[in-house]
Amino acid sequence: MNGRSFHERDLHLALDGELPAEERAAFQAWLETNPELQARYRRYEADAALLREGLAEITREPVPARLLRAASGERRQNPSPRRRSWQAAAAVAILALGLSGGYLAGRAGLGQGEPAMMQMADRAIMAHNVYAAEKLHVVEVAADQKAHLDGWLSKRIGLPLAAPDLRGHGFELLGGRLLPAGAGMAAQFMYQDRSGNRLSLYVTSEQTKGETGFRLAEEDGTRAYYWLDDRYGCAVAGKVPEAALLDVAKSVYEQLMEGTRT
Amino acid sequence: MEERKAAIVGEIPGLRRYARALLRNRDAADDLVQDCLERALLKLDGWRTGESPRQWLFTIMHHLFVDQMRRKGRRGEAALLPLDHDEALSAPATQLGDAASREVLESLDAIAPERKAALLLVAVEGFSYAEASLILGVPAGTLMSRIARGREELRALLDDAGRRRRIRVVEP
Repeated sequence: MNGRSFHERDLHLALDGELPAEERAAFQAWLETNPELQARYRRYEADAALLREGLAEITREPVPARLLRAASGERRQNPSPRRRSWQAAAAVAILALGLSGGYLAGRAGLGQGEPAMMQMADRAIMAHNVYAAEKLHVVEVAADQKAHLDGWLSKRIGLPLAAPDLRGHGFELLGGRLLPAGAGMAAQFMYQDRSGNRLSLYVTSEQTKGETGFRLAEEDGTRAYYWLDDRYGCAVAGKVPEAALLDVAKSVYEQLMEGTRT
Repeated sequence: MEERKAAIVGEIPGLRRYARALLRNRDAADDLVQDCLERALLKLDGWRTGESPRQWLFTIMHHLFVDQMRRKGRRGEAALLPLDHDEALSAPATQLGDAASREVLESLDAIAPERKAALLLVAVEGFSYAEASLILGVPAGTLMSRIARGREELRALLDDAGRRRRIRVVEP
């Protein structure tokens, strides 16, 4: 016995066959002493079995002739009409990403460590991906009504807010919108640089009065720096290099702090 | 060359299963597999012998899927495209026999794609973390957190489905 201690993540390592052979006995012994985690382990195991059964049917279907032809190197005559069908399905999958984000946001018990903050970062990234891709409806209230935008979002979020000025970083304010976020609401300010890259600031009102440093989250090419500062849960998100994003995050942090003091 | 082609044919059932789980629609999934196979045949020389054909093919397919998602996302077309395909997409993907299978597949649909992909590659397709990381192009830590969250989401979704089923049964 080498005395290695086990944690929740080891459930997944064990389920996925990633636990070294020499640790398996110790893991099982540890599991015996944790009825709650043991139940979870068995449940995950059962879910995986269901999943495999549910999908097994597909591998028993005869392989369509067109796929066999493709595998033998036969070229297709006109690719265009067919191609569209899975692309549409892929587009639905992106929509599902946005929807499931909102749906799951309301659940308790997701994530570990600092679940509230990580959830906020996830939501900020999802909200960014959904609205930064918009051509026509990227914001609800445009930057030309900035005073109204600031006032409205401050009132709904319940914290004094003013869209920070990011022109020094090359980003112009486009406007903002209100979003549902779990049990509460979030404000999203959208910015754009000259080449059309977009960056968004996401702000929620948090219960905790504490402070965290800047943390980095990344999902599918979109990164976010997020932090908590005296009830302000903030995230700046975009497909922007890390260093540039961190500069923006610092500037946002300073401007929001100044704003709350006036 | 012929040996390689035969190895590729052997992987088609797994590729179809993964594509169908991602996209749910049968034709759309087979179209993705077909695009993948065509791409693979063009790149056959790039496949180093000794490398698992399985991992190589799944990587190609994953890139096709993600490129497409990104392109649609950037152009903001995501909301427009599905309209003409609405019917095809809502049609049941397979004639799956029992309710439990249908329930698990429906729950799978509600999981964010990147978590779904991670979970499927490891728990269904049997890839190791190292292989799945390479296929998805993410660090092992990211992969692990996606798997953990995906599993937890699936569990919660299945619980909800079970609750709804019980409610239906109880209602007169």
